[in-house]
Amino acid sequence: MQETFLNIPEEIYLLSINEKGQQHESFKSENFDLIISAAILMNLALLHRIDSDAINIIPDKLEKVGDNLLDGVIGDIYEYDDNRRIDEWISHLSMHGPFFREEILLSLVRNGVLKIEDEKVLWFFSKRKYPMVDDAEQEEVQSRIRNLIFSDDLPDERDIVIVSLLKSSNLLEVVFTPEEIKENTERIDQIAKMDFIGQAIGKVLKSYNISGFDKLFGVKTPEQMLEEHAKVLKTKYRVKNDDMMPAWIRKGDPQYEKTLDYVRTLGHADITFNPRTKEYAEIKYNYARHVFGSGI
Amino acid sequence: MEITVNEKENNVIITLDGRLDTSNYEEFSAKLKEIIDSGKRFLVFNLKGLEYISSSGLRVFLSTLKTLRLVEGDVILCCLNETIKSVFEVSGFLSLFRVEESVENL
Repeated sequence: MQETFLNIPEEIYLLSINEKGQQHESFKSENFDLIISAAILMNLALLHRIDSDAINIIPDKLEKVGDNLLDGVIGDIYEYDDNRRIDEWISHLSMHGPFFREEILLSLVRNGVLKIEDEKVLWFFSKRKYPMVDDAEQEEVQSRIRNLIFSDDLPDERDIVIVSLLKSSNLLEVVFTPEEIKENTERIDQIAKMDFIGQAIGKVLKSYNISGFDKLFGVKTPEQMLEEHAKVLKTKYRVKNDDMMPAWIRKGDPQYEKTLDYVRTLGHADITFNPRTKEYAEIKYNYARHVFGSGI
Repeated sequence: MEITVNEKENNVIITLDGRLDTSNYEEFSAKLKEIIDSGKRFLVFNLKGLEYISSSGLRVFLSTLKTLRLVEGDVILCCLNETIKSVFEVSGFLSLFRVEESVENL
């Protein structure tokens, strides 16, 4: 495997932004959590922490790897300690999407790939940006992938994963021109399908986009908003009955009341709960809003 | 999984029986390294008795192919049963390898 100091989710994130830290326009932010979850699983497979076949993720050596992002997920898989469908793992992990994003940004800043810039907007608040320090890392990934596609070389395991993710998430255009994609479709498709997790993410994204996240308009009570949010989560994560829902959004659980209080405070129910830190957080469907989150 | 190694002219014929999965891909990989380190350049895999292969197993095949192509060697897959053929096909790996119907064809 090629030596690189970035993990795969970080490489995918870098490919999805421009030099100012803004995410590629065609990149649907709601899908990012699912894509990053798949990227984490693929990275763990390369590190032999998990194995897979066309259907399941199979735990392998579940020792930590010294990477906060990956180690958190190793912990989840260790706790589950059984085979589980790839699509179920992707959906389950994507619940932690906002925390994954945060970890990726922190790590890229720590490694000197991104920098933090606070920009004044009007006079009373600032927005935070994470532009690239330079585009060396992004260019390195891009040229690696371009060289692979334009040659007959056997792919490296890591590059299979990147191509597979780019294809599934419609991000190929950040590396290739539309003409290049058209001319090399066969080669791209062949390499993209060489990873079972990569194959699964394509299907998960498709079903997720079909189920949709359409917002309903009108005035609603916090109870109604939370119930609707629970319904959306149940569809998204394919939870068959209410008992399987996490405590924070399970009606009847003592924590449900605390969740309702949080919804009342925010005025909406686009929220999630981090079981590790025991903190609630807003879900930012507009990625730009999340990255450039306002700070007074 | 049972691994049987035989030699036929310049080829090393490796017969796999059982499951190539999380529990044994490392042992399999180490065995192949040993064979390659001994100077063998052409490996033929008889996969008639292989019942299951996971991603880790597929990756061992890929890295072996990469290693041997660098020294002008090759990996030949032979006698694939329907289950294993379908895994290689679905994963796009089949097109990377030379595939033969039987060991006698070599």
